[in-house]
Amino acid sequence: MDKKTEAKVDDLIASLWKKNLPSLRERLNLLDRAAAEASSGALAEATRAEAQSIAHKLAGNLGMFGYPQGSEVASKMEHTLKAPTPESLATLATLAKQLRKSISAGL
Amino acid sequence: MRRILIIDDEDDIREVAALSLEATAGWQILTANSGAAGIEIALAQQPDAILMDVMMPDVDGPTTFRIMQQDPTIAHIPVLLLTAKVQGVDQRRFAGLGVNGILFKPFDPLTLAQQISDILGWKEGSPDPPPPLPST
Repeated sequence: MDKKTEAKVDDLIASLWKKNLPSLRERLNLLDRAAAEASSGALAEATRAEAQSIAHKLAGNLGMFGYPQGSEVASKMEHTLKAPTPESLATLATLAKQLRKSISAGL
Repeated sequence: MRRILIIDDEDDIREVAALSLEATAGWQILTANSGAAGIEIALAQQPDAILMDVMMPDVDGPTTFRIMQQDPTIAHIPVLLLTAKVQGVDQRRFAGLGVNGILFKPFDPLTLAQQISDILGWKEGSPDPPPPLPST
């Protein structure tokens, strides 16, 4: 593939990333809320399910925007939320912080 | 020009896949945000291939595929499933469906077209599929 096409794709993806930033920030905020609820031992089922869905979506798309580590962390969050245990839920807050850090350059 | 139908409920995935395939391969892209909408478009437009998400609300990818297989007018269209990286058991389940291939998310926008071409045996630079024969 020629460099011109590569640059064109990169530019288009960067534009899409900017367009989707508000939605991404909302998703991150919800994951933070889920992590906070989990830390206090009060994670509501509705929050858990929504957070799992969001983590799944982020696992699937952050990598294509150039944030593969973000995809990895989101995938870990998804699996934690899918089959939570008290021990695993205690790690959500750390994972949520790692997720934000992994994509901080683009926020 | 090849035409690809992308079926995914996630806007980001549809948009990135579409711009990637248009820019890198020059393919014409059709999109649908659900299995039901995808079936309608497949029936009307007869794409050369379908790239379909596995996890979708209402009707998921494997179920949509099974429905498509029951209609002879679209059963011949090659289908690639798009899914998060999965373990061996899930891979075998998908392979047993009879789809033509599986692609994993997150995909690389710069190589997606080549991955699709490799799975379907499309040679880069090969002529477009021949037009359908005129009915007599």
